[in-house]
Amino acid sequence: MFDLLDQACAAARKAGCQYADARYLSIRKQRVLSRDLALSNCSESDDRGFGVRVLYRGAWGFASSPTFTSEEVSKVVALAMRIARASAMALREGGVKWAPEPAFKLSYKSKCEQDPFDVSLEDKAELLIAANEVMLKNNTVKRAQGYLGFKRVQRWYVNTEGSELHSNVTSSESMIWAIAVGKDDFQQRNWQAPASTQGFESYRKQDFLVQAERVAAQAEEKLSARLSPEGDFDIVTDSENLSLTIHESVGHATELDRVMGYEVSMAGSSFVTREKIGEFQYGSDQVTLMADNTLENGLATQGFDDDGVPGQRWEIVKDGIFQTYSTGREFAHYIGEERSRGSCRADHWSSIPIVRIPNLFLMPGKEALSPEELIADIKHGLYFEGMDSFSIDQRRLNFQFGGNAVWEIKNGKKIGMLKAALYQSRTPTFWNACDATCDERYWEPHGVTQCGKGDPLQIAQMTHGAAPTRFRKIRICRGRES
Amino acid sequence: MNHQQAQAFIANILETPHEGELQVMVDGVQRLGTRFNDCAVSQNALKTQSTLTLTARLEQKKASVTINALDDKAMVESAIKQVFATCAHMPDDEEVMPALGEVLEEKAYAFDAETEALEIETIGEWAAAACKQGAAADIDLAGLLSLGKMFCAYGDSAGGFAYEQYQRSDFHVTATGNSGSGWAENQGVTIRQDDILAATRRAIDKCVKAQNPEVFEPRPTTVILEPQAVGDLMAMAFWYGFDQRSKDEGRSAFSNYDKALGKLSFYSDPACEVFPTISFSSDGQALGKSLWLDEGKIQQLQTSRYWARKNKLGVKPTPNNIILTGQGASLDELIQSTEDGILVTRFWYIRSTDASTLGFTGMTRDGTWRIENGEVTHPVVEMRWNESVLRVLNNVVASGKPVATGENMAMAMPALKIEDFHFSSLSN
Repeated sequence: MFDLLDQACAAARKAGCQYADARYLSIRKQRVLSRDLALSNCSESDDRGFGVRVLYRGAWGFASSPTFTSEEVSKVVALAMRIARASAMALREGGVKWAPEPAFKLSYKSKCEQDPFDVSLEDKAELLIAANEVMLKNNTVKRAQGYLGFKRVQRWYVNTEGSELHSNVTSSESMIWAIAVGKDDFQQRNWQAPASTQGFESYRKQDFLVQAERVAAQAEEKLSARLSPEGDFDIVTDSENLSLTIHESVGHATELDRVMGYEVSMAGSSFVTREKIGEFQYGSDQVTLMADNTLENGLATQGFDDDGVPGQRWEIVKDGIFQTYSTGREFAHYIGEERSRGSCRADHWSSIPIVRIPNLFLMPGKEALSPEELIADIKHGLYFEGMDSFSIDQRRLNFQFGGNAVWEIKNGKKIGMLKAALYQSRTPTFWNACDATCDERYWEPHGVTQCGKGDPLQIAQMTHGAAPTRFRKIRICRGRES
Repeated sequence: MNHQQAQAFIANILETPHEGELQVMVDGVQRLGTRFNDCAVSQNALKTQSTLTLTARLEQKKASVTINALDDKAMVESAIKQVFATCAHMPDDEEVMPALGEVLEEKAYAFDAETEALEIETIGEWAAAACKQGAAADIDLAGLLSLGKMFCAYGDSAGGFAYEQYQRSDFHVTATGNSGSGWAENQGVTIRQDDILAATRRAIDKCVKAQNPEVFEPRPTTVILEPQAVGDLMAMAFWYGFDQRSKDEGRSAFSNYDKALGKLSFYSDPACEVFPTISFSSDGQALGKSLWLDEGKIQQLQTSRYWARKNKLGVKPTPNNIILTGQGASLDELIQSTEDGILVTRFWYIRSTDASTLGFTGMTRDGTWRIENGEVTHPVVEMRWNESVLRVLNNVVASGKPVATGENMAMAMPALKIEDFHFSSLSN
């Protein structure tokens, strides 16, 4: 595998490139979907190919092909060179400034105790259909669905600096959901086993059955729940709900390519401008947000990124103060850093790498604190669980998020479900309103598997995490008129 | 692959001995995406990809396998074995339908020979010309010029076959100043340099007019949505609400809603001149014109073959485009007829807030202005809104002429003037 990639880099060097890299990927996927008591689909795919990225006189060119032969490699390098010359027709002053990185020879393999591709379809069907059967026992549930998804990405990477890297990462994701239908309303409730870079060993049938019963009962309860009140309330978010808030309001906001305007036309820019490094009060002193592309089982833990930089751990926010960004080698110089943070990834062999959110999580509280104790200190508030409606402006300031299930809190206790509740805030206002987060016993990771960014769009995966966390006086609005 | 090559390739697969039924879908794309920001090219990537999807049916069992090594005979043979092996392990599903076996006439609604012939260097020159416009105006430009050249072929063991070649072009550009931005696009099948330069000029013009925005306290007000904003909203509404089975099973906003939705018509049609598309679906069904709203009256919605058979309905497959009719007013006429309102360029990050009322939230983006006494008076700070599409369509009081829009889905949308649109908070 490395031989042909070496050939690509040698050809690029010979053509006068200042830098080039070549990646070959083999991507295997399986998706199994259930609908009520049937499997509605099983699709499998095997997708292979390579891409060559060349930096020529400060301009990028990239080309790719599914045919991995010596002749095709030569053609693709020539195409990438042609494209780089076309890019040079509108060249940024000084061209691309590429951060140095040592050459590595590394191999990384994620932990996978039970290969999901070796597990029979019958076993997967049994898991999903058994869960659906439990959900359908609830008379209000008119549709029960489930999903299992598995992916294995093998990657070989070579660059003109001498790096030779290989990774083999297997990931798994799943979800079950119930739709309850009433006379004048319908409501959905779901459960996801956190997506991770693990194999089938992360799934236990008993978990699915227990969660199926809970999900069905809560879908029914949502039907008769009262509409959420509106106004300013204290709120508690569970780890899954807050994971998405971290993703949207911190993860994307602190991607340096966005800050520098590279994503303006699609994903947007960011309010976290460079002068804020080391100064900006992103959140309260309870808030430390850690990036970690070495996190065990994390979806962004892949050994090294697509710039050939090994995974790293760093603080994005420490004790409430903004520290630094996620970067790639093209962007480190914009903040005077000599080395990339290793967070530049492509979603396919035919895609060009871009800065992506790393594994990113809220550190648990240092003092012992349970969710019950967290809630006990709220007179009137809301408890948000799971992911639902989520929307944020392109500068990552104004956001509005819901929950898949929301409870009203009165006098320190959860008293009943609410319908159509949304919390709406501005990123710094929200994080500065954080006054407590539970300790590490309650910390949980949650995988995001459909993060869209780039133009054309690329889809990436990463893991977030948090313990249940409290925010004071957050504006609550409703997604439905009374 | 051209028509003959695709036909021969599919025939060869179908001739491989197999039990049951086999459907074969082959598609290929060569897409150049030239991305620029700060008036310079930042990424330039050529994507070349072909995929082969095999779907096997054994009575009421079905499974599919996709590979991209089309020229690897051993892998193709292995994929055929794999898809039937997987299929044999599937439990029965009463909703599995047999292949249609229809031979479809080759259409060329979305093919343009001049666009097909465009080369990498030409695209580079056009992107550079757009960047120069920004540099000359001392305004940062960021955007994408993308051109995809594609084919799609389908065949099945019941004798069905379909093939089409088509293109998809996408140019969108954001012009950014110190305190505001403007945006414009040119979507469709064909692309010409003049289209790119005109869109760039529109974005720059909007950017100039978007500087120093003032606060408009969010409240329900009359709004004029430009076509992209209308498309952003209608695409979400279509995917969330316009399914017949969900309606019949009580899982849709239309389950308990039988009134009209305004007066406009809403339909899909691959032959739509404004934004044509490929004319068959992934299972070899011909796509014709499908009416979803007839002058506001709700028609039969998207209906799968299974649901149609079970309920004795006509089949209405998932379409490749959506079109909202309009009354043909110009944007200037819509503005001149507005005493007090807001003009919106486009939306961002629309998400469902309540599926039972087709309720959504989203933000305005890249150019929002106050209208007073029939004139655009000043830019306003971008805002969040929370609104139901049922209410939006019922509150349309005037509309423009459909134009091509949509970076992801092909759409033809008019500008709409809507009363009582619910803005809820400020972006900044």
